[in-house]
Amino acid sequence: MEASAQTTASSNRVKSPTIYRKPLAARLFPYFLVAPTLIFVLLFTLLPTIQSVTGSLYRAPLTVKQQPAFVGLQNYVDLFDSSKTTRPDISDSFPKILVNTLLFTFATVIVSVPLAFLCALLLNRKLKWLGLWRFSLFYPALLPVIGAASIWSFLYADNIGLTNTVLKSFGFAGVKWIGLPGMTLVSVIIVICWKQIGYYMIFYLAGLQSIPRDIYEAADLEGANTWQQIRYITLPLLNRTTLFILVVAVTGGFQTVEQLQALGQGGPNESSNLMLYYIFQKFAEPRNLGYVNAITVILLLMLMIFTVANFYFFEWRRIKDDQ
Amino acid sequence: MTNKPQTIGGLIANAFVVTLSVLWLVPLAFTILVSVRPEREPITNGNIFFDCIDNPVDAATANTTTILGCTFTLQNYQDALQVAPWLTHYANSLIFVIGTLVVQLVTVTMAGYAFARMQFAGRNLLLFLILLQLMIPTGVLIVQNFVIVRNLGLFDTQVALMLPYWGSAFGTLLMRQAFREIPYELEEAARIDGANWLQIMRSVYIPLSVPTYIAFALVSVSSHWNEFLWPFIVTRSDQVRPLTVALNKLLKTTEVGALYGQLMAGTILVIAPLVILFMLFQRRFIESFASSGIK
Repeated sequence: MEASAQTTASSNRVKSPTIYRKPLAARLFPYFLVAPTLIFVLLFTLLPTIQSVTGSLYRAPLTVKQQPAFVGLQNYVDLFDSSKTTRPDISDSFPKILVNTLLFTFATVIVSVPLAFLCALLLNRKLKWLGLWRFSLFYPALLPVIGAASIWSFLYADNIGLTNTVLKSFGFAGVKWIGLPGMTLVSVIIVICWKQIGYYMIFYLAGLQSIPRDIYEAADLEGANTWQQIRYITLPLLNRTTLFILVVAVTGGFQTVEQLQALGQGGPNESSNLMLYYIFQKFAEPRNLGYVNAITVILLLMLMIFTVANFYFFEWRRIKDDQ
Repeated sequence: MTNKPQTIGGLIANAFVVTLSVLWLVPLAFTILVSVRPEREPITNGNIFFDCIDNPVDAATANTTTILGCTFTLQNYQDALQVAPWLTHYANSLIFVIGTLVVQLVTVTMAGYAFARMQFAGRNLLLFLILLQLMIPTGVLIVQNFVIVRNLGLFDTQVALMLPYWGSAFGTLLMRQAFREIPYELEEAARIDGANWLQIMRSVYIPLSVPTYIAFALVSVSSHWNEFLWPFIVTRSDQVRPLTVALNKLLKTTEVGALYGQLMAGTILVIAPLVILFMLFQRRFIESFASSGIK
């Protein structure tokens, strides 16, 4: 109602194209334009979200003839408490995998984002062959994750891998990078940092280039040293960039799959498994479906803390502002 | 910060970033190197590549060249080519990427225009519904989307790969922004000349938004070229599976015999197109990716 009143009000300002068209066709035209995007988004974003929530409330039947049983929140309870579960292996591993996912994501973010900021600062100066340095830091971002992972599966190889050859040539013992509890995820964190730093760096570079030079000149005159300039000028002005990169890094970390597929496959004994890869490993068995849906919902909720905040602070505000 | 004279700190900073950049190139350099070295030699020597300088191998057999006592060969590429029908996979990746992009260009142009220039009841609600895609990480919903695709009878088809990407909230926002920046007077002038909507799009909005289309296309193409999990789940046969899934197969077949030369050759086959494109259009790529983040 409000919007149609707006249309009438604005039509004498000749702002709306509607007055050039036949009334009904003109009124339906915008919906025709929006429909394809809307349908695909609803079908592959909203519908699966609803299905993951409803699916998580049911338990798969024990025999083919039975219907799925409504169990309320029991699947969620079972994930943390194995006393009533039909799938003890999932109950046993899930808490471990949840903790893995949180620690792993935190570690990738805390290493890669500051390093990306540092690289951007250092490459935002006069330097010979700048294009080459920028290329070599950024190119891993363009590789398919599975390609990056397969490169590292060779670098990490036990006897002939590059990392161990280098270690041995300096007299150290070789490290078993993949396959031991604890070490595998550290190895994966290294791969993610190698792949992502250049990607985050270009956002910081774009941000740095938007800061007017004279702010630093003024700070120089005031006698602020480089560290103070970074701490009190650069970082605060890049707050938005940092927030955006944090969201990308956190959501990316939570959705790590291919590296695990190439490097250890979550083993041994789920010690290096993460939530999305676990979903991927378990969903094919029908009797797991209730649990897989529950894990999906938990993962969705954790991710949406970040994506919704990001959306509210950046996209929606900007849309509201320019309307 | 930019114009300071070189100090000790500055030199250390330069050394740091240059070292890091060189380190970052090492995996690519070694991938290329391993891919052209005979499979047995580095493994039997127990040392990857430098050992052949100390212990030269004399016999250069057919298909190999010897430089500084190290043998080089394209045998790994021939072996990797045997593992999977790479040409089919290349074609599949191309169809996936182009098919996704072409439909996306149409849908984002339509929706982008509606939200940029039209007033209609429920506009904000519809925009919000589309933007749900930015809030719900759809990568997590693989299982549910797999069920939807299967129920539509599209399992193991090219369309199944593309379908979830045909509606793009990111692209809609991008085009909405680009169209809003075009002076409305240009559209009015075209209308007075009697142009209909399609003609206006073709003569005013689309030509003036080419940089935005290119940015969107680069981001779309490179992300789908690299995609693995979704294609792996919704396809089964080599006839529709893209390159990344073929690489996964190679990863599994070479794991057993530690055939890293073959694996690296296959990896090169998969990553080469984008890396070469990036080398040619470095600036454009970086600008597109940077603008895809903060508008």
